Amino acid sequence: MTEDDDFFARLRADAAPLRYQPDEATLARIRARIQERIAPPPTVAELLAAWFRPLAAAITVVAILAGVGLASIDTGTAAPVDRVEIVAGGETYVVGD
Amino acid sequence: MNDDPLEARLIARVQNGDAEAYDALVSKYLRRVVAIAFSIVRNAHDAEDLAQEAFVKAYQSIGRFRAGASFGPWIGRIVTNLALDVVKHRTKFRHEEIGEAQPAGRRDDAELPALQNDLAARIDAALEELPEMQRIVARLHLIEELEHAEIAAVTGLSDGTVRSHLSLARTKLKAKLADLYD
Repeated sequence: MTEDDDFFARLRADAAPLRYQPDEATLARIRARIQERIAPPPTVAELLAAWFRPLAAAITVVAILAGVGLASIDTGTAAPVDRVEIVAGGETYVVGD
Repeated sequence: MNDDPLEARLIARVQNGDAEAYDALVSKYLRRVVAIAFSIVRNAHDAEDLAQEAFVKAYQSIGRFRAGASFGPWIGRIVTNLALDVVKHRTKFRHEEIGEAQPAGRRDDAELPALQNDLAARIDAALEELPEMQRIVARLHLIEELEHAEIAAVTGLSDGTVRSHLSLARTKLKAKLADLYD
């Protein structure tokens, strides 16, 4: 090793703390930004699907809730018929329990 | 010449439109690309932006990338060119400021990772006093530990010019840091 090489070798060792070393979070952030920028633009079908998917989901939820609501109203108002009494000619006839 | 068959396959996939394959290439070279940018612009935020820009630019021109070539020097060259543009822009900006005769704070304050280290700070200050290309070549050689051929590949300088810059830088650094290394 020449004297010049030796000088640079020592300088390299002493200059090592000057090296910039980004942390993993920084590297992950840069990678995500790169992926975002190079991702192909969405097609028309994908754009429409993105709009309609939440709309269809909302309509489905409303329909299910309406169905459940109607069913509970029906069951709530109808009186249970367990026993029917029929009076005919002074006699009482009972149908049911 | 690309000696890494996995990398060659990744490049071929990216050239065929597989954007996800590009992430593996980014992962392999990102740390080094950020470091090269930092060596030139001396600002962490700018270095990160430049690395991002370089990878996007490389992706957009991947169709022109020569099959069988290594991706490292290519992306290194792209980020170096972008970083040199930033440095030139700053120099122009500073000259305009001086022309206006109005004091202004430095816009490119470096975020030095080791200023508390006196020895490293002295070396950093000595490097900063070198002329632009000597400084960049010396930083790439001393701090990023790039060899002559690698520096030539990323800067676009000839091997002889790189050696010449390093030789001049060595002489000046020896003189500036004589009290430390004699």
